[in-house]
Amino acid sequence: MTTEGRGHLGRILLLIGRLALAVVFLAAAYAKLKPPIPAMPWSLASVKASLSMFAMSVDSYELLPPVAVDLVAHLLPPFELFLGLWLLSGIALRFSSLVTTLLLGGFFSVIVRSYVVGLEIKCGCMGQDEVLGPKTLLRDASLLALSLAITIGAFVVARRRAQAVASEAAPAIQHGD
Amino acid sequence: MRAGLTLAALLLIAIAPAWLAGAQAKKNTKATPAPALPEPMRNLGSKTAPITLEVFSDYECPTCREFYENTLKLMMSSYIAEGKVYFVHRDFPLPGHKYSLDAARWEIAASRIGKFQEVDAALYDNQRAWAADGSVEKYVQGALSAADFKRVRSQVEGCLTQTVAAVKPAAQTNHICAVDNYIAEDKALGQQLPVTGTPTYVIYRNGQRLTSGSGFVSWKIMKEFFDSLGTQ
Repeated sequence: MTTEGRGHLGRILLLIGRLALAVVFLAAAYAKLKPPIPAMPWSLASVKASLSMFAMSVDSYELLPPVAVDLVAHLLPPFELFLGLWLLSGIALRFSSLVTTLLLGGFFSVIVRSYVVGLEIKCGCMGQDEVLGPKTLLRDASLLALSLAITIGAFVVARRRAQAVASEAAPAIQHGD
Repeated sequence: MRAGLTLAALLLIAIAPAWLAGAQAKKNTKATPAPALPEPMRNLGSKTAPITLEVFSDYECPTCREFYENTLKLMMSSYIAEGKVYFVHRDFPLPGHKYSLDAARWEIAASRIGKFQEVDAALYDNQRAWAADGSVEKYVQGALSAADFKRVRSQVEGCLTQTVAAVKPAAQTNHICAVDNYIAEDKALGQQLPVTGTPTYVIYRNGQRLTSGSGFVSWKIMKEFFDSLGTQ
């Protein structure tokens, strides 16, 4: 495969990976923000109830004091929504993927710690009913690996692009001399 | 003579129903067995409360104790007492805990004479002590009057040495421990959820299941969720 062909494939893989991560984050945000009762219409009160319900999942990790639990539970789902939209847009992919990798790294370490200390809790990751177990660890590790690969890929693409721009500009500068 | 016979007949007619009723009553008294103990009352609060909290717990599990001491106790004195939350206790003794099944048996026996709260509190408050040496009975006795303890003791006699694996509904075994039937029922309910660890709680609003969770949740966080559902 030529260098150009490899670059093309790389860009396609980046696009697929980026869209996959965006869908995961949008689905995670939706699962946490949707009304707790299917019959309940979307409203500020339903979102508040959903976030309070998510706070119970965050609290069960026994990592944070209640004030911090509240803060995390109320900020995380909107941030996941924002991150999902950012990844979907493709704007400044290096930075959106880097933020995603850091966030997933944080999630992964918390999940590993909870699993190692033997907490038998619900994950709270993609809704309320998922029990934290080996499946959760595997899924989060895969997402972290994907996000890391996208971050590296995005930085490589950006660097190549910068090099290409520089090499195109260099002869022009020489001619200008 | 004729008048006398009429009078005797009238007297017989008047007396006969009373005599028959008396005989029937005597017969009934003979047929009625000793009054059976009621179903265990392990629910707290008003059944009409908008929120129901069902908790599957194991008396020997440290997180269950933490949940009881820091969340349920505070809830009992506030939201349960105020009629906002209806609390349903379920026993889910885990096989890894040596004395948790016996503790559940004591609690159910106490619940059948209306002493759930007393024994529930005694078991959690002294969990570390009895979990270390198996002295469950001592703490149950301490929570009850002598007469009540005697009634409770009689229900668990002959049951206490059996293991979790032996707990099956009476229909499946020739089991004589009535208290074990209730534990088996709770375990069957838990397995349907499924309960993967203790404590596991299920929250209902007006009979509709909202969510379930496992592990410790502080009262502040749980209360916020209840409030967000419009209990105030």
